[in-house]
Amino acid sequence: MAIVGPVQKQNMGRAQSRIDGRAKVTGAAPYASDFPVGRPAYAYLVTSAIARGRIEAIDLAAAREVLGVVDIMTYETVRGQVKKPSFFAAGGHAGTTIRPLDGPDIFHDGQIVAVVLADSYEAAREAAYKVKVSYQAAPAAATFDSPGATTEDAADASKGHEDPAVGDVAAGFAAADKIVDEEYRTPTQHHNPIELFTTTCAWSGDKLTIYEPSQFVYGLKNGVAEQLGIPPDRIRVISPFVGGAFGSKASVTPRTALIALAARRLGRPVKLVATRDQGFTIATYRAETRHRLRLGADADGRFTALSHEGWEVTSRPDPYLVGGTDTTARLYACPNVYTKVRLVHADRNTPGFMRSPPEVPYLFPLECAIDELAVKLEIDPIELRRRNDTMTEPIKGLPYTSRSLMTCFDQAAENFGWSRRSPQPASMRDGDWLIGWGCASTCYPTAVAPATARVTLWRDGRVKVETAAHELGTGAYTALAEIAAARLGVDIGQVTMALGDSDLPPAPVAGGSNTTASVCSVIAKACDAIRARLGLDAVMGNAAQPLDPPARAAAFERLGVGVVEEYAEFVPHGVKPDGIDKLYAGIPRLAGGSSLKDRIQYAFGAEFVEVRIHARTREIRVPRAVGAFAAGHIVNPMAAHSQLMGGLIWGISSALHEATEMDLGTARYINDNLADYLVPVNADVEEVAVILVPERDNQVNPLGIKGLGELGNVGTNAAVANAVYHATGRRIRDLPIRLEKLLA
Amino acid sequence: MRPFAYERADSPETARAAAGAGGATSSFLAGGTTLIDLMKLDVMRPQRVIDINGIGETQIDLADDRLRLGASVRMTDAERHADLRRRLPMLTQSLALAASTQIRNMATLGGNVLQRTRCPYFRDVSWSACNKRAPGSGCAALDGFNRQHAVLGTSEACIATYPGDFAQALIALDATVEILGRAGRRQIPFSELHVQPGQTPDVETTLAPGELILGFAMPVEPWFSRSLYLKIRDRQSYEFALASAAVALDLAGGAIRQARIALGGVATVPWRAREAEQALIGRAADEATFQLAADIAFSEARPLRHNAFKPALGRQTVVRALLQAAAMET
Amino acid sequence: MVRHQPQESKKRSDAAPRSGGGFDRRHFLAGTATSALLPLAFEAAGVRAAAADISPTPTEVPGRSLELLVNGRSHRLTLDHRTTLLDALREHLGLMGVKKGCDHGQCGACTVHLDGRSTLSCLTLAAVAVGREVTTIEGLAQADGTLHPVQQAFIDHDAFQCGYCTPGQIMSAVACIEGGHADRDAEIREYMSGNLCRCAAYPNIVAAVRAAKSQLRS
Repeated sequence: MAIVGPVQKQNMGRAQSRIDGRAKVTGAAPYASDFPVGRPAYAYLVTSAIARGRIEAIDLAAAREVLGVVDIMTYETVRGQVKKPSFFAAGGHAGTTIRPLDGPDIFHDGQIVAVVLADSYEAAREAAYKVKVSYQAAPAAATFDSPGATTEDAADASKGHEDPAVGDVAAGFAAADKIVDEEYRTPTQHHNPIELFTTTCAWSGDKLTIYEPSQFVYGLKNGVAEQLGIPPDRIRVISPFVGGAFGSKASVTPRTALIALAARRLGRPVKLVATRDQGFTIATYRAETRHRLRLGADADGRFTALSHEGWEVTSRPDPYLVGGTDTTARLYACPNVYTKVRLVHADRNTPGFMRSPPEVPYLFPLECAIDELAVKLEIDPIELRRRNDTMTEPIKGLPYTSRSLMTCFDQAAENFGWSRRSPQPASMRDGDWLIGWGCASTCYPTAVAPATARVTLWRDGRVKVETAAHELGTGAYTALAEIAAARLGVDIGQVTMALGDSDLPPAPVAGGSNTTASVCSVIAKACDAIRARLGLDAVMGNAAQPLDPPARAAAFERLGVGVVEEYAEFVPHGVKPDGIDKLYAGIPRLAGGSSLKDRIQYAFGAEFVEVRIHARTREIRVPRAVGAFAAGHIVNPMAAHSQLMGGLIWGISSALHEATEMDLGTARYINDNLADYLVPVNADVEEVAVILVPERDNQVNPLGIKGLGELGNVGTNAAVANAVYHATGRRIRDLPIRLEKLLA
Repeated sequence: MRPFAYERADSPETARAAAGAGGATSSFLAGGTTLIDLMKLDVMRPQRVIDINGIGETQIDLADDRLRLGASVRMTDAERHADLRRRLPMLTQSLALAASTQIRNMATLGGNVLQRTRCPYFRDVSWSACNKRAPGSGCAALDGFNRQHAVLGTSEACIATYPGDFAQALIALDATVEILGRAGRRQIPFSELHVQPGQTPDVETTLAPGELILGFAMPVEPWFSRSLYLKIRDRQSYEFALASAAVALDLAGGAIRQARIALGGVATVPWRAREAEQALIGRAADEATFQLAADIAFSEARPLRHNAFKPALGRQTVVRALLQAAAMET
Repeated sequence: MVRHQPQESKKRSDAAPRSGGGFDRRHFLAGTATSALLPLAFEAAGVRAAAADISPTPTEVPGRSLELLVNGRSHRLTLDHRTTLLDALREHLGLMGVKKGCDHGQCGACTVHLDGRSTLSCLTLAAVAVGREVTTIEGLAQADGTLHPVQQAFIDHDAFQCGYCTPGQIMSAVACIEGGHADRDAEIREYMSGNLCRCAAYPNIVAAVRAAKSQLRS
């Protein structure tokens, strides 16, 4: 009945294997498409073969003849029946305002142009291939430099965006002893969770149940209600397990309202399991970026000026923006900073959140440039970062609530054996393999959001926690149960969790790595309310005091009840009191990172990799990676370790493998499958060491938790590129780094 | 996937007869790793599917100087054969490196050599220009994204890469294919099974409709133990080759008596580099010699925008493979 | 056309363990007021009650009545010729542990055992599985709910995060160990490379396979 511990390290909870583990290893965990519904019709999408233009005609004759086909929805039959979605960045719910089946216009490759419904999956698929769509194609702009692509300043495109700046960069560069001035590029990437984008909709009278993998069930509920023009309380979203998300399931996509509409037309449930290739165009992705980064330092290595200009691709109608200069402008001490972000509109589906959306593309140029500057200055790259480390961000002079960046570097460097590195490029070799060692900083803003929960304690010690939080693989079931168990003094086995259901009290979007901080906070609050009802002191911070069974029984006796239930709301620092109302309306209000008026809060880490590059054929392998991370209180070191390890591998994958390729002439994706869109396989990964660095930060939230789900994959792009330079003497500033970039 | 008639054959003869019967297009179904995949994509639309699982030859007969492999042997079963691994490492390596365990558990040797290209414009029917899928429609890959495409054996009509690995070993080892046709069994050199695209990329092999591969046979020389299959790819495993080389060396002292070189990932068909082999004979087994052979092997290469690296990569692959083979302890 | 009537699927699987607490499945039962379409509990690993409700109306395309032997039990089904083993298991037998991740043999989430060999059910027609033994994730644990050592090792080593690829990973891992391919880490990594894990739990998967192998050996 241990409450906290055995404590592995200071300010860390106990390593707890997942309470949903048994369900996952037996195949019993129900993902959205696993829910049985009575006699569903199967939906199969038909998507556009052009990126821009108009549908000229749709011939459904052959498709309708397929036995088992019950309906085919096109813009001709359902136009006007789905209302325009509201873009999330404008305070709405949707990841795109593009509304398929509302007219003949095509805005991007793979836009939904028809939904075939049939009694069997096989019939729906056959008929979908028999739908004949003829187009009037128009020239389509694929990406940067494509004819027809248009550029605008992010500050004009998006109300919230400011380009952070301070001082006089011209003077700063004039004062510099050494300057790096380079262009960097990151590619289009798709999340590719192994679970497909699925939606099952079932109506019962005027009530709709949606089974869909979601990072935000309240957002989906409210967003679909808006699109269907019905009150949100008629919709229930069920998503107890999500088969990987990484941002792709955070905002409402067009398919859901269409499937709901289909189910209403047919008067029976409809099940959609979109294909892998369709997932590339019916949801979101990480857009390609370009950067010009200039960094100057004096002879001692102190930064004198930083200029970071970024360009990001988005769709025609939507100003999706990541604007990672918010972070890069503030990461190091520097008196003169200039930044500018621009959006480039092309004929593409609207991009969206993908694991560490701003930090991954924007830290790559900065952390490469620091390595390049270190070479010019002949200073060790860790030492160069140490000389520019700061507890005060340079733009507004706000204090970091905590920052353990250099402690992370020290611990990771020691584990990695950095002191044995020969600094000369191409100086380390093992037979035919060139060896390179590289490192980079990683960081991620600590965001916290309003959350609610209901906790019930029975006299016999059983506990139930109900909150519409989400289990994406992050270990939410376990971490949240651990908090309740610790504060109510019960074994975790007595805690029952209900998550992922919009009939539960709302929890924020599982994005921005805020769930553990936000939802643990509200559960702790509800538990403390229960303790208060029982006449017990609240728990302070994480110092849980035992509530042993006799004390609990006595307290229930005094109260004369068998069950105590408390509903709690939590509004974090920096969020207005209406944050809870917004949450119920499906609008998350995350606060933190660089957005606070009085302070800045981030988690930090240091990442090291060894690359091996074959001297002849130049294939690149990463046999070893080490990361050290500090993220405040660690609730479950076991799950934290797994997430950071996965993040490091994600980062390696981003550096070496992942890129969605395009046919530039037609603006269409080419490698939209898992054989050609490369993600690492088991054989690609050997040693990955994760060091959890103890850190205490009681400002970020009452429990001192910083999110870490997106911390692991931020610095890795640069660490790998820096290691490739060390191995070969060649700077590759255009990701991914593939062997052809290293061949003679 | 279009509707089809499904039948299980009880012998190669009935399978062939069923496939040849009246009018309908037929496909044999063995492991299904190509056929089911491409049927789901609507690329292949057989009206009749003849299930040949459970029939056909599953023997591996390795004699002193000959090998015969039944076409129905599963890839994993052949690659794990201890004597084959020792005497023909090139062959078992080409199988083991080909795909995931599950796919190699499923796929047969006969089916494997007939796997179809991974050209994305071929595999996605929403691209209208593909001469292989729709003769005369054009080739979208020529001006499209063509990193994986071929630089050898291409034509103006098609640059699709032959994706397999095992076939490189077969062509290097002078294998023959035994085929069951309308007139009974016949044998052809493996090098005559596949045909370059030319103006008819839809024609990929010399098999007549309904003909069934029964097995592969090849002479086994003692020096084949000095052979290997080198596959270069972005990932460590489970990926098609960017370039590969199947090589064997017969060394006497420091000199080369005979050599075999076949190339994968760079050509439209399984590719035997015979002129490069000839250039090796009688020369010292050193890097300069191997570089010469590699240059010859790619002298006719025709790279495009995204696969411009392939001749260089291919040459390095050949040199590396030959150096490794020369260093083998046999 | 014969209406599809699974013979056996109304029975609960013998191999169905109850979940050992943790998250609440009953919750979804409790909420059925909103929808009569949520009749089924998630108590059983795998076979769900009333599978006749799950299965689609058969269509008049060439199909056949066939018998599938799954986890030691025989099921008679009438299926479209085109139905893959994956879709037959999920949509007709309610065995939802087998997952669809790509439907083209590229991810391994649908891995089952066919006569003991790890096989991609998405590239296998159900008809091809007739007369062969199919084992899915639901067939691994013992009747009393005791987990297979590989299943337990996956929990102990945190060898998954989202869990979606996990059934396929475990089916490959069992075959890896049973086939004698788990002697070295490099061998495990290569053998397991057909099962993508986007959460990237790979080092923990290797550790779990290694641990389960030593347990199975002892």
